[in-house]
Amino acid sequence: MAAEVIRDVPMKAESNTLRAFEERLREHLDDTLHVNTRFADLGSTRAFLVSPADRDRPKGLVIDQRATAAERIYLYVHTAAHIALGHNMPLITIVEGEDNEAADGLRHDQADRLARAMWWRRGSPEMVSSLPSAQRSRLLRPLLAHAATRSALHLILRGMRTVLYGSGLVRMAGNGRITTWLRQALAATAVVDAAPQLAER
Amino acid sequence: MRIRDTERVANAIQVLKGGRSLDALVDRLYDITEGSLALDRATLHRIARGRTQVARSIDTPEDCIRLYFALMIIGCEEGLPATSVVEEGHAVLTGFVGEPLAGLIFRDLSGTVAKLQDRRALKAYLEEGVRVWLPK
Repeated sequence: MAAEVIRDVPMKAESNTLRAFEERLREHLDDTLHVNTRFADLGSTRAFLVSPADRDRPKGLVIDQRATAAERIYLYVHTAAHIALGHNMPLITIVEGEDNEAADGLRHDQADRLARAMWWRRGSPEMVSSLPSAQRSRLLRPLLAHAATRSALHLILRGMRTVLYGSGLVRMAGNGRITTWLRQALAATAVVDAAPQLAER
Repeated sequence: MRIRDTERVANAIQVLKGGRSLDALVDRLYDITEGSLALDRATLHRIARGRTQVARSIDTPEDCIRLYFALMIIGCEEGLPATSVVEEGHAVLTGFVGEPLAGLIFRDLSGTVAKLQDRRALKAYLEEGVRVWLPK
């Protein structure tokens, strides 16, 4: 096959917590839903899901190599929602682009509604275990619901991370509950900031 | 397989191969299809020059579709516009399997191509199509 296709995860300076969640979700998609993920230069297309003629065979998800870990996490949850809704008809390709046609728009809206439910810990147990547990927080959900509070929260959490790592406090605190919660809260905030469709309305 | 319109298929191959030689085209087709398309040089030369109606090494619809996808991937690599890649690819497929079947195969592609924004996405889609739809 063409050597230009990038099979590995794009390497970017991104949060290890986000990348760990991204990897777990990708494995979940592969193991449970038989979706093989690849990364390639897709120009202005974000991703597409190719479905085989035989439902038992693996599906192929191709994501643009420029997508961040947060965007990839959203695309995995959104893809899982499309599959749960039965949109992955044999030989039909689902394209995640900038301008979806009206007919596609309806299906993407349905998938987004289900993705939102899955994201807020109402998905399958495997999916739920792949997501940051900080999402259970009653503090986080209302803050992520609105663009202004979401952006402010993202900024504050990033600032806290810089201070924690810069001052060495994170080494002293180790992997305690607070640092783990902060890491997960930052990961969840980054995903919802990258994909506001996941914010509760 | 019997080629229906040798001249049109030959013309489509000449367009899709871009600046490559026919020998380089055979090598690339072999790479893309991971050796599953047993198309020898002499046969491809004859098909690409419109000098034969019989392509014995392409004897199943699956082989035709592999050739169709692989030639379109090459068209993308050669920098042809996406519309031209799709049009010439369709001409190759129609030349091999006839219009009703080519139309069926072409259905997802034509629906999807309209949504793919550019040639890079089309190429990735064709490569994934070969993997998912035509596993070895």
